[in-house]
Amino acid sequence: MFLPCRYFIGTFLTASVLMMHASRAAEPSEGSGDLFPVAKINDFVSQAWEERGVQPAARCDDRQFVRRVYLDLAGRVPTIEEADAFANDPQTDKRAALVDRLLASEDYPQHFADLFDALLMGRTNEGKYKQRANSGWRKYLEDVFRNNRPWDEVAAEVLLARPEDKAKRGSVWFLYERNDQHQAIAEAVAPAFFGIRIECAQCHDHMVVNEIEQAHYWGLVAFFNRSKNAKTKEGLRVAESAIGGFSDFANLEGDSTPNLLTFLGASTVDEPRPAGDAKQEDSDDLYVATSAEPANRIPKFSRRQRFVEDVLRDHPLLARSMVNRLWAIMLGRGIVHPFDEMDSVHPPSHPELLDWLAAEFAESNYDIRSLVRSLALSDAYQLDSRQPVGVDDPASFAWYLERRLTGEQLARSIQLIAEGKFTNDAELIKQFRQQISDVLPDETVVGVDDTLFLTNGPGLDHYLRSSRDKAGLLAELNGIESHRQRAERLFQSVFLRAPDVDETEAVVDYLNARNDDLPAALQQVLWSMINSAEFQFNH
Amino acid sequence: MKHTHKTCGSPEHLLHRRLFLQGTMAASAASVASFNGLFSVPALADETKRQGKKCILLWLCGAPSQFETWDPKPGTPFSGPFGAIPTNLPGVQISSLMPKCAGIMDKLAVIRSMSTEPGEHFQGIDVLTRGDKPRQPFIRPILGSVVAEQLGHLDSPVPQFILLDPCPEGNEFKGFKAGNWAGWLGAQYGPVRAGGEYSIPNLNKLDTISDIDHQDREALRSFFSKKYENDRRSQAAGSLNAAFDRVKGLMSCAPLFDLNSLPETDRQRYGAGAFAQHALQARHLIENGSTFVMVANGMPWDNHVFQHEMHQMLVPELDNVLYQLVTDLEDRGMLEDTLVIAMGEFGRSPWLNEARGRDHYPKAWSMAMAGGGIRGGVVHGATDPLGHEVAEDAVDNRQLFATIFAALGIDPHEEYDLPDLPTFLRVEDGVAPIQQLLV
Repeated sequence: MFLPCRYFIGTFLTASVLMMHASRAAEPSEGSGDLFPVAKINDFVSQAWEERGVQPAARCDDRQFVRRVYLDLAGRVPTIEEADAFANDPQTDKRAALVDRLLASEDYPQHFADLFDALLMGRTNEGKYKQRANSGWRKYLEDVFRNNRPWDEVAAEVLLARPEDKAKRGSVWFLYERNDQHQAIAEAVAPAFFGIRIECAQCHDHMVVNEIEQAHYWGLVAFFNRSKNAKTKEGLRVAESAIGGFSDFANLEGDSTPNLLTFLGASTVDEPRPAGDAKQEDSDDLYVATSAEPANRIPKFSRRQRFVEDVLRDHPLLARSMVNRLWAIMLGRGIVHPFDEMDSVHPPSHPELLDWLAAEFAESNYDIRSLVRSLALSDAYQLDSRQPVGVDDPASFAWYLERRLTGEQLARSIQLIAEGKFTNDAELIKQFRQQISDVLPDETVVGVDDTLFLTNGPGLDHYLRSSRDKAGLLAELNGIESHRQRAERLFQSVFLRAPDVDETEAVVDYLNARNDDLPAALQQVLWSMINSAEFQFNH
Repeated sequence: MKHTHKTCGSPEHLLHRRLFLQGTMAASAASVASFNGLFSVPALADETKRQGKKCILLWLCGAPSQFETWDPKPGTPFSGPFGAIPTNLPGVQISSLMPKCAGIMDKLAVIRSMSTEPGEHFQGIDVLTRGDKPRQPFIRPILGSVVAEQLGHLDSPVPQFILLDPCPEGNEFKGFKAGNWAGWLGAQYGPVRAGGEYSIPNLNKLDTISDIDHQDREALRSFFSKKYENDRRSQAAGSLNAAFDRVKGLMSCAPLFDLNSLPETDRQRYGAGAFAQHALQARHLIENGSTFVMVANGMPWDNHVFQHEMHQMLVPELDNVLYQLVTDLEDRGMLEDTLVIAMGEFGRSPWLNEARGRDHYPKAWSMAMAGGGIRGGVVHGATDPLGHEVAEDAVDNRQLFATIFAALGIDPHEEYDLPDLPTFLRVEDGVAPIQQLLV
């Protein structure tokens, strides 16, 4: 255990948070179960139940589990066949086997790339989504999850943005898309890699969160303010100058302070400042090697490199924020909530658990897949989603917190039900991600704009209509013998369960009344089920 | 205390007679809206007193200059090129950019002594639209949400709180709009937003589906979905169902969002800009059953550069819009019950910066109101000769909000109380309304 001396401990970071592990596993792991022992996660959570007098929900049944885990790990519902195969599997360790299979599937990197694109870059218009694909960013993200790359390496690549081989060319896009807006870069870096929001510290020390100072805001900006987008023969680059980027920032009282290279939890990086208004001369000997292409010159003193090496590397919040975010993805909210406000105003609900997970995560070589696997197999993840009577606090993780499907999860699942397969770049995906933008929202709030879209938007209607002609569900339903069997088949397909008596009756009554145009009627029944809460939420 | 409501908010069940779902639709099902609103139900006497009160907020985002509107300082070094003109209130002058309002000053109440804390847009917008700065662990609802919850009718098909803002993109206001508007009242009191098209997307039924199918499939959906919600007491499902329940009502008032349905003469009187047209639409919506309409226009007032030229463009529009709105409401006999508020998030500095702009200035600024329980012909407070400081009767955001609530008949001091949590008040610290401004 050693503590790099460049960290001074903010009061909000307990000593245990700062336990650094110098040793690294030699080989990147393929995601093994013993890195984050599930039993230990369970102990932390159940101990808190005991202390708080909370009676958790029961364990969820296989039907609930299979739908839930497909949505959370593969970004789609299972097919009837997949759900049946799981439910009928006699093996006792089938949940672990399914989790492993999903984590090894191509659905997992696709789904996690969706999530992390939204979390790191934000939602955007379709034109920009195209650029994210063309620049290689999308592929880069997929590779991160497909090959289970260590998160600290990924963070360093993204923020250094000097890809050494073509395969990683997309890593520049995190900075590049922000188009030389250095404040926007800083405001994105803080939540993406440190789990904190610093916007409020632009004009004054954060009013509520004492440890976030105005100097941190402008320090983080300064690390990136010599960067400039460039199009080179090798592709898109974020060039960096060896000079400039010195200024003073003023607070509301009008006192001004130089923008030193400093950030929360790390000591200030030394850099000689030119006196007063002295003009700096740019010259080749300020760069590592001259390059024909000015955009590819690397400054001998590179601020971005200093940031990656002196601030980011081993920063306690790097592991802590990723652990909290993965917990939020799997358990519905962070141990710190909101998950990207890990500051002294938002204490963790389970501090020891978070400390331990963060330490293990750094120790494990920032192994995302192993952590996700353990979370999926934890007791808390496998609880029923009905809130137990008398338990109010969602931060107790005493039941599986319902969450709304993302636009991509919805669109994929609808395609899968209607056609038996899905395409990731289908028009339906584009429509849904433009309308339903929430990913890990602080709370579930469905707006009437969304329900208008689902009711009157041309996208879903057109899509369901066209599936009448295909060898899809609607065509198949048409060919079934009785209304009762049609109801049965619809419920199995959409909700993965048999209808109860009331539900069967409702569907049969409706279809009987609409024998004049059965294809249209079946489409409306499908619409009504897809837009019901049972389908719209993961539970 | 737990909030209950006169209307349970459950929708009329839209069932075609051919469907025999009534038996399975639990008539006694829990209310669809999960009322986590927490203020007590007003006593009946209160109810009658404030019946029919409504509010239009002209949100002047970016913050206009008090010197070019309500508090000109002619003859001072930074007074700029615009003079002051007399009004129909003896001894009261306002900027020469506002000749129309000068003629109806007897109907307006102007506060010249606003003095608030935040000097940045995001925080300023937060404090001046919610009434107070953030305080953990709850988010204070925005004015429109409070008024809609207290005075509105949840079961009305017409949205009770509407935000008209043609600029979804762009600046600190955009960031603010992305936040949580209804706070502790719950999402059903958030605004319905209509943007640059003056309408709401996906408001009209597709041609590919018949009326009857449209109704029937929603009846089916609602049946499946509420069953799920009630079985689990699921708040998430409640939110989805409440939003679906609003679809029919909203669709039925699609014509309200059609500006073309309004007389051309009205449209010309208000003027061509988005702000003016939205103000007219606000009047139209209030006339037709809305309770609170917030008219915004992106953030045009933040004039750090060439502020004289910018104000020369913006203020006459504001002057005309305010004049048309107040006189229209009066002609219709609605002014007494409709409060009109025109303000931004702070004022502008009494000096010019190097770019001939005025910077943010929360220390001493002005705002205006009319109608709805506010006394006309009042100029409250004053600034010193250069406009640097408030000279008399400083008004902060709490006093302002206490006054607005009192004018609308809403108790400013109601408590929001949950066990083991700090008590929140609608206006904190028992701050009193400004009596001089109340009818």
